Amino acid sequence: MSFTSLQGKACRSSIKMSANNVETENEKNDQISEEVDVCVVDYTIKHPLQCAWTMWYFENDRSQNWEDNVREIASFQTIEDFWALYNHIKPASELKQGNDYSLFKTGIKPMWEDPANKRGGRWLLSLEKKQRNQELDRCWLDAILCLVGDAFENSVEVCGAVVNIRGKGDKIAVWTADANNGPAILEIGKKLKERLHLPGRMQLGYQIHHDLMAKNSSVTKNCYTL
Amino acid sequence: MSSSPLAKQVTGSKAIPTRKVVINDACELPNYYSATPGGTLYSTTPGGTRIVYEPSFIMNLRNSPLSKTPPTYEIPSSLLRGSTPEKKTKSPSKRHYNKNHIDSTKRDTKQIEDEDQFSLDL
Repeated sequence: MSFTSLQGKACRSSIKMSANNVETENEKNDQISEEVDVCVVDYTIKHPLQCAWTMWYFENDRSQNWEDNVREIASFQTIEDFWALYNHIKPASELKQGNDYSLFKTGIKPMWEDPANKRGGRWLLSLEKKQRNQELDRCWLDAILCLVGDAFENSVEVCGAVVNIRGKGDKIAVWTADANNGPAILEIGKKLKERLHLPGRMQLGYQIHHDLMAKNSSVTKNCYTL
Repeated sequence: MSSSPLAKQVTGSKAIPTRKVVINDACELPNYYSATPGGTLYSTTPGGTRIVYEPSFIMNLRNSPLSKTPPTYEIPSSLLRGSTPEKKTKSPSKRHYNKNHIDSTKRDTKQIEDEDQFSLDL
């Protein structure tokens, strides 16, 4: 983690003992990801995030208005509080068909009409039906780790991310604020594609919310494709 | 920054990540001395700082005691991890029950109860 590199270097000699103690634990974690580069982590503190985020849930109840079906679950602004939420809710693949999870910056509603979204668009990843079991949860987690970890150079342009569980194929999208900001959109899309480790045949397409409102989503053109 | 909880955190030896920003003219410099050209310095400079976490760093904290602590707010029961998958309770017709044992007026609730108990074993 880059934020604390300076302190890390300065304190290194004084924490040698504790570094040895956690080595075995880190070896276990290396199996999860080879990129683990953290030798010592203080588990007693909470790590602040760049932004506060709110997790939303959409339940497809046709007896109610669409807007009433969009419900806030919780907000968080530390890594630990993110996990406390994520670890206690169902993975996306276990949601009922027609339902969504959304993760948006606190203050932005997961809907086109929100002032932060209305001029924006989304990078969309369409998954095949059979990918729900293997790919969906991994891709969704990778996507939201990009958000909470502030992975994008243009992270101010990012509004949130949505996962739709649908019978004809699940979708994961990252919403951005300004559909006219080409350079930022492309930077975000490239980073997302890299972080999701998508095979070449799987493409991301950028769609403008305004076009989606006007037409059926299946015929909406992509402004950019990666 | 010394009072920040982050300051207590310690990492191993690692090069400080940098990014080069080419300045061609003095007017491209930020207005404030505290800001850095290009906007972001991955360090502790006030005004130029963003908190960036690599995915591996966040993953590494997934099973820490604080991350495992159940949240204080309420999560809808239908969303709780490990609860009965909703799709299972929605399709009672797919299972066969011995309806002779069940009074017809109680059948619906009985079926759902059975379903719940059965689904837990799955």
